[in-house]
Amino acid sequence: VGAVLKKGLPANKRVKNGAKRPGKLSVLFVAIHFVLIFVPLLVLVVWSFSAYWPWPDLLPQTLSLKGYEEVFAARNNTWGVLAQSVGIALAVAALSTVFAAMASRAVAHYKFGGKEVFKFCTILPYLIPTTVFAMGVQVIFLNVGLARTVLGVVIAHCIVALPYAITIMSDITAAAGTKLEQAASSLGARPVSVVFHVTLPAIAPGLLSAFCMSYILSFSQYFLTLLIGGGAVKTFAVTMFPYLSGGDRTVAAAYGVIFLVVTLVVFFFFELLLKRFGYKNSQDLYTN
Amino acid sequence: MINRKIKRAIVPYLLILPACVLLLIFLVGLINGIVQGFGIMPFLGMYEPTLDYYIQAFTRSDLSNSILYSLYLALASTAIAIVIGVALSAALCKIQASRAMQLLGLQVPIMTAHMLVAICIMCLLSGTGLIQRLLVAVGLESVASCIPSVVGNVSGYGILGVYAWKEIPWIAFCVFTIMSGVSSKFGEAASVLGAGTFRTFFEVTLPLCRGAIVKAALVVFAFVFGSYEIPFLLGPTLPKALPILAYIEFQDPNIVNRCYSMALNGVTTLLCTVLAIVYFVILQREKKA
Repeated sequence: VGAVLKKGLPANKRVKNGAKRPGKLSVLFVAIHFVLIFVPLLVLVVWSFSAYWPWPDLLPQTLSLKGYEEVFAARNNTWGVLAQSVGIALAVAALSTVFAAMASRAVAHYKFGGKEVFKFCTILPYLIPTTVFAMGVQVIFLNVGLARTVLGVVIAHCIVALPYAITIMSDITAAAGTKLEQAASSLGARPVSVVFHVTLPAIAPGLLSAFCMSYILSFSQYFLTLLIGGGAVKTFAVTMFPYLSGGDRTVAAAYGVIFLVVTLVVFFFFELLLKRFGYKNSQDLYTN
Repeated sequence: MINRKIKRAIVPYLLILPACVLLLIFLVGLINGIVQGFGIMPFLGMYEPTLDYYIQAFTRSDLSNSILYSLYLALASTAIAIVIGVALSAALCKIQASRAMQLLGLQVPIMTAHMLVAICIMCLLSGTGLIQRLLVAVGLESVASCIPSVVGNVSGYGILGVYAWKEIPWIAFCVFTIMSGVSSKFGEAASVLGAGTFRTFFEVTLPLCRGAIVKAALVVFAFVFGSYEIPFLLGPTLPKALPILAYIEFQDPNIVNRCYSMALNGVTTLLCTVLAIVYFVILQREKKA
């Protein structure tokens, strides 16, 4: 046995040394990935500040805030549109997170008839494109008076966000279990304090991630908002879109940068919150 | 005691009620579209179900071409995303990527809206894009003039580029957690037993990550097949991606044309429902394992 172990040890070391070379390849690969992710975003930022960038110069000749001035020109009411978009996204995030938390609790901790059918249905909006749903549901929203209203847009966005929120919530709810709750209530805790002191802290990271994901999904919806909102409900994505397909690229880029900032600031804020909760890897919440 | 039993029976239904209401709206919308695809439009006095619109979707050349074009875009984007995304995930595992690296390299692109990526790629590769400028700057003017503008190119390389930027990180993100667990648990065992890095990867790591890869890939395929914004901004005039053509028919002043639109959407629905069933089967298997 000793001989085998002695032989085994250097062999093991050799593998580790041999693995160094592909390690370098991995570093290179990841480095290229980062360049490809961040250079386009950087170019967008530069373009948004460019005032005059004649062909074939590598850098703009003059920089200015012209693009941003155009975006925030009084006639565009951009602040109002931004406020409305953020409001809609917050409402969608709150509703779909709560609904997903409730549904995940039922699926994780209860037996009920139709559970599998329900689970399958929660996947459907995840895989059936919003374009199909939007065109099918528009007439119905028109008939019941939900089209061209903020409420209609919030409901439609919730349907898109729900499967993502449920995916995030279902594993953490199952992992949290019910034992601690049972222990707390058998020790005499009132139901309300069980919810606030035991249940919610256990699933808090999932709630934060689901909220963040739903917020960003809602904020980024274009087609669905256009069809349900019918131009009456102006969100930032809907206002921005026509600028992308033509016209002044500086203005389009300025819209893009604002969009990026609004979504990423919220995303990093939630990541910080998650870190506060001692959650090392928010990734675990999305996958599995 | 009986009271408690009834409570346990009712509570789950109360908990799923709001989600059910939303899903019901979704299904009603979906079915409403499907019914119109069969030529049933009560408000126009059309009650006879017909397969005409579906038959035309596959035989009228503009309709069938756009189905094929969307299939091409979805298949190509998914293939690119799987291959490079899995490789990226493996590379990140290998270098034991920190949380910050995952956050910036994977989650930032996931959270960035598709249309922003479309503007970025226009800035880089449209007729006077930065890449063409770079080529001119290094004296490769002839190469620069050979690159077709990213907007409206039939090969759809700009569209594929946007989806690559967005979906490669998505696949890597979905696979990374499982892959890093697998490679720390089994990878070492396999390499101690003498398997090479590549053999370990293809025969141990990859099969164990298969479920996660397939699930993520199904989402990519369905998304690309049915999305409107990117082919609208970057796609060619002909053939049009399916969702764009469906929307054009949907908006046609002649309301009967909606039947074509809904037949096209019906094709998407059928395809994506099959994908959803595959996704569900994988999910159920994972829960059992």
